[in-house]
Amino acid sequence: MSVMQNNSEKAKWYLPGILGGLWITGKHLVKNLLNRNKMMTLNYPEEKYEYSPRFKGNHVLTVKKDGSLRCTACMLCATNCPAECITITAAEHNNPEVEKFPISYEIDILRCVFCGFCEEACPVDAIRLGPEWQTPALNGSNFIYDINHLAFRPNLKGGIQTHVDDEERHKQGI
Amino acid sequence: MAEVKILTEFYHLPEYQTLAGYQAKGGYETVPKALKMQAQQIIDEVKASGLRGRGGAGFPTGMKWGFLPKNGEPRYLLCNADEGEPGTFKDRMMMERAPHQLIEGMIISAFAIGSHKGYIYVRGEYVYPIECLNKAIQEAYAAGLLGKNILGSGFDFDLDVYRGAGAYICGEETGMISSLEGLKGQPKLKPPFPAVQGYLRKPTIVNNVETLAAVTYIIRDGAQAYRKNGTEKSSGTKLFSVSGNVVKPGNYEVPLGYPLMNLIMNECGGMKPGRKLKAVIPGGSSAPVLTAEEVAKANMDYESLAGLGTMLGSGAVIVIDDSQCMVDMLGVLTHFYAHESCGQCTPCREGTGWLNKILHAILEGRGRLQDIELLIKVADNMKGKTICALSDAAALPVLSFVNKFREEFEFYVREGRSKVKGTTYAEMHH
Amino acid sequence: MPKCTINGKEVEVKEGSSIIEAMQVSGDRIAHYCWHPGLSVAGVCRVCMVEIEGNPRVQIACNTAVTEGMKINNTSDKVKDAVKWGLDFHLINHPLDCPICDQAGECGLQDQYMEYGKYDPEMAEPKQKKHKVVDLGPTIVLDSERCILCSRCVRFTEEVSKTNELGIFNRGDRSEIGTHDGMKLDNNYSLNTVDICPVGALTSKDFRFRQRAWYLKDAETICNGCSTGCNVKVYFNKEGFFRVKPTFNEQVNGHWMCDEGRNVYKFVNKEHRLLKAQVKGQGSSWTEMSAGAAAKAAAEVIKAAAADSLALVLTAQYSVEEFEAIVTTFVKDFKSNKIYFWINNKEAFDNFDGLLVRGDKNPNTKGLLKVLEKHGITATWNELSRGLKSGAIKTVVVAAPENQVVFPDFADRVKELSQAQNLIWLQSGQNEALKKLDGNVWLIPMKTFVEKDGTFINHSGLEQKFKKVTLVVSEALTLTEAALLLAGKNLNIHATSANEFLPLNQRLDQVAVEARKKNEFVFKRGNL
Repeated sequence: MSVMQNNSEKAKWYLPGILGGLWITGKHLVKNLLNRNKMMTLNYPEEKYEYSPRFKGNHVLTVKKDGSLRCTACMLCATNCPAECITITAAEHNNPEVEKFPISYEIDILRCVFCGFCEEACPVDAIRLGPEWQTPALNGSNFIYDINHLAFRPNLKGGIQTHVDDEERHKQGI
Repeated sequence: MAEVKILTEFYHLPEYQTLAGYQAKGGYETVPKALKMQAQQIIDEVKASGLRGRGGAGFPTGMKWGFLPKNGEPRYLLCNADEGEPGTFKDRMMMERAPHQLIEGMIISAFAIGSHKGYIYVRGEYVYPIECLNKAIQEAYAAGLLGKNILGSGFDFDLDVYRGAGAYICGEETGMISSLEGLKGQPKLKPPFPAVQGYLRKPTIVNNVETLAAVTYIIRDGAQAYRKNGTEKSSGTKLFSVSGNVVKPGNYEVPLGYPLMNLIMNECGGMKPGRKLKAVIPGGSSAPVLTAEEVAKANMDYESLAGLGTMLGSGAVIVIDDSQCMVDMLGVLTHFYAHESCGQCTPCREGTGWLNKILHAILEGRGRLQDIELLIKVADNMKGKTICALSDAAALPVLSFVNKFREEFEFYVREGRSKVKGTTYAEMHH
Repeated sequence: MPKCTINGKEVEVKEGSSIIEAMQVSGDRIAHYCWHPGLSVAGVCRVCMVEIEGNPRVQIACNTAVTEGMKINNTSDKVKDAVKWGLDFHLINHPLDCPICDQAGECGLQDQYMEYGKYDPEMAEPKQKKHKVVDLGPTIVLDSERCILCSRCVRFTEEVSKTNELGIFNRGDRSEIGTHDGMKLDNNYSLNTVDICPVGALTSKDFRFRQRAWYLKDAETICNGCSTGCNVKVYFNKEGFFRVKPTFNEQVNGHWMCDEGRNVYKFVNKEHRLLKAQVKGQGSSWTEMSAGAAAKAAAEVIKAAAADSLALVLTAQYSVEEFEAIVTTFVKDFKSNKIYFWINNKEAFDNFDGLLVRGDKNPNTKGLLKVLEKHGITATWNELSRGLKSGAIKTVVVAAPENQVVFPDFADRVKELSQAQNLIWLQSGQNEALKKLDGNVWLIPMKTFVEKDGTFINHSGLEQKFKKVTLVVSEALTLTEAALLLAGKNLNIHATSANEFLPLNQRLDQVAVEARKKNEFVFKRGNL
């Protein structure tokens, strides 16, 4: 990295610059104090920003009407994933109409680059990227999301079935 | 010129069914004559007569016999009596009225091709004709006309009746051979042709009932006498099974080249009162349909009909008057072919089903205008792409119906009801 | 030898060959489903259309014989249109199962669609419903809806296995493949039907849903299941080996292989392998060490042993080169002639099922005998038994089998050999019987047939070379390496010169520029 250095005499007179900066800060301080509604910052975590519905946050596995996973374990998401963060193990389902389903579906969210290719590759609308992004955890192992988390985490309230569910989820920011 | 009764001369006599009645009218007199001839002489005579296969394809019989390999291999003579073509019922009458006529023809033909074993493959629905044939074969065996050393000539010929299960495809010669071998009735790839490798992989000749019966008369009267009837390229007489909206439907034997209009107006007594001729299917359901204008130009021989883009086929003339809905009729036909396709070749297996589904979508009012174009495209691509001619048989009616009566199809798609009858599919059939 | 012109190229073919065979010779691509070089001609899929000069209609290439001077073309618009429609007829009732279909990625329909199709489907009617997930037998599952009724599998059971279990039932678009009443598709060649199925209608229960085809790499090798030595392709990725398929070799196996042979991938995988050397002394417990170290330790014991107390037991499961190395080491370095051949199933040795499977379940019996003969070794197993009993033989080196399934006498022989004071056991796989061994034991992991280069000599004396496919247990030794180490020598590891590295743009899994331009997803994933 190269840095341009201005070693001229004029540059040594830094005080006007600092004062200029302070003037801007002070201006906004006064503005915000007078009109708190127009304040740019949020009181996180009490207040949360509402993202556009197209925001690509944490993954959700959708479910069918009967509550079972929609995913057929076709591995197209895993194939398409540029970060190789999806690991699926397929198995034969007892119901011949379902035929193939994932017994394990894991996303290593720390590897994920949230590109959304998995969503695009999915032929059965089984995986979606939601608005949720504030997902801290206490140690590294908690960042590998399994089926239970992806499809049935508590704030999904029993799983996402349709786009209507999706919209509600977006409104609630989960 | 009217009916010329050669084969059907004595069909009105009930006793003609029996050996005694048949012999009283000169039956089996040709057998001793033929057995004294050289086999090659008979083949040459049949060749000279210009006899063409009466089953549908119209292939010259003498030429077919000539394809047999000239060696001592055992060979078989099969009679194709699996009359499955919708509209055809001539073979049934021949087997019911004159079973001995067929047996006599088969003895002579078998002698000509050097076969010692023959089968008559009859469709399963023909219960009564099978009874008649079995009775006649028993009589013939008792009279020494079949079996070992026929009439002291030293020629052996055994004949059996084989009852099919009624599949349309078993009327195709290789399909029939498969069925006779005990396999699923599916046509076989050609080449090898049956004349080289047929039943049990031995040389086999398959001929229609009417063709084999006609052989007797060619040998009895000579090729030149046979040629007196008919045209230069289509010699002899042929039975036509006329059905549909005519006053007197039935089998009529007329010389080939007979004008179709005369057949309908004279022999069959014209159209039903108050009705106008709309179309005719001249050769069984798989032949392209002719419009009323084309019917006026048509003569019932192979060349004239081929000139009009259709075919003589098995000689089943289906007459359609102006009260019939062409869309509904085609629906019946496509359903038949979808049901009867053997499922071997993909274009036919999938195509017949597809055509049927499109047509029934139209009939049930779910049709789209582009479906009419699609019907033509699908049918076009089924033509000539399969092992046997069933896919052609399914495609040709579709092409001719849609092309010649397009406005009826378009009306049906737009209105969801028949142009002619004014009713919907459900109303027409329930 | 008629000459014909195919797409402008002149080709000379064998008398009586069909156009499709001529096109295989000339290297022209032609779409086909029902035609298979190892089966009779059915002529039912109707997509191998070609245009022959002088014939207004397109013809099928599989049932048209080449005649002198024939001019054949399968690149014209007429042919392409015919093939496109042929494909359309195949697809109108074919379900969109690709995501869950095991064949996806190596499917005939997908391939042809990319080449001839790419059209908007016009089928607006509901598809035919047929049976799905039909259990045909112990090895195979059928999906009738995916089936394109090419009848390859039916012809296979009629013509090759001659078991006649399969047939086509019903007519028209209701046709379905199935087993005859009261029969199961249960023969030793049943999985060949899965290989020849051009679509995903027949799937192998063993492979079903375990991997997608595009995650697998393949490599050719020789099956070590029996002395036939079928030429096979093994499919693998970083998770291990997943399946074995036959490749064509007219002299050996034709197009087929047996179901038993398809299991040879199993003992190669890590979960069945000895990953580290296990060493234990009299009465003490097992200690784990690296294979090389264990071999060096064993070398000390051998060095101290007297030549006539040293014996070598060989199974015919290693390559000729390895036999040569270890036998030479014994004869030349150790001056011992006590080399014994462990025959696993003597009574069934000469069995043959008439097609491929042989009773001799070792890939290289002929090779071992040849090496033993070369060194003039005639020792018999009885001598070994006597020697062990009397205590004359104290140290035994055993080149134990890779494929333990075909060694029913394994546990007995282990027991017998454990009479020796020092047992140096060279083996690739784990075994419970070995865990129970007492005494001085060196259990050294060996490489399997997919991890080394070598030669097998099959039952008819045919030498077949095979190449290393990949590494599963990198630490394991080949028998040659083991022989060197046991003799106290060092391994000669070839230094790889700098220019042997492949340039970056020539990697095997690199997307070629042409493919990239066409935006095709063609590179193979999976590495080991």
